[in-house]
Amino acid sequence: MNAYKFLRADGTGVFTRFAWPLPGDTPGAWVQTEPDPCRSGIHACRVRDLPYWAGRVLYEIELDGPVVEHKTKVVAPRGRLLRRIDGWDDDFRAAFTRHCADRAHELARAGGIERWEEVIEPSIPEGPALLSFVAARIAEEAAGVEAYHAERSRQAGWIADRLRLV
Amino acid sequence: MAEHEHISCQEVVELVNDYLDKGLEPETASLFEQHVNFCDGCDWYLDQMRTTISTVGRVTEEEVPPEMRDKLMTAFREWKRS
Repeated sequence: MNAYKFLRADGTGVFTRFAWPLPGDTPGAWVQTEPDPCRSGIHACRVRDLPYWAGRVLYEIELDGPVVEHKTKVVAPRGRLLRRIDGWDDDFRAAFTRHCADRAHELARAGGIERWEEVIEPSIPEGPALLSFVAARIAEEAAGVEAYHAERSRQAGWIADRLRLV
Repeated sequence: MAEHEHISCQEVVELVNDYLDKGLEPETASLFEQHVNFCDGCDWYLDQMRTTISTVGRVTEEEVPPEMRDKLMTAFREWKRS
């Protein structure tokens, strides 16, 4: 299956610091590990997982072998990067951050949770991962855990629509 | 832990050793990483812990000067008595 993977700006894994073989005109080399969620294996995002892991650069990745479906990720024994998602750039990250901030204000006002208002704007420099979390947390505080997931799903839809991800 | 959708900075501090030892349940490890992904402070803390473990792991007992070893042993015994 094909999925998506965020990396650091230097092409290394966000948590492992593994230097991924990057794609050029052709896909990057295959990387193989033993799959074990959050311990080893090739970790990647389905479209619905993207807001949870928003990072610096985004790639489409081909996964091979048995894929383990996790709540907010998928894990496989083999993977290779197919292409960079060029649309996920600094401008897009800023636009998504702003969208999440606006949504956070809206949710805070609607839920009568004014204390969150003080958190939202100062958090913007931290980027999309934090602002998307803040918006989802406000939704949760206003309407429960289902609202948290609904907000995350809404964020994923916003990203997918604009980057044409499936 | 799995019934929560997120963890706090304090929980990151409490869980960091288990995370680095790969001892967390997958769901908890995932929440840990999600937090570190958006929290610069915890990302820095995790980096510091990795660096510390890596550095300390390279020091053999023979490399510790005798006087330093005595000081450490004394401090450790006093800490255990307190």
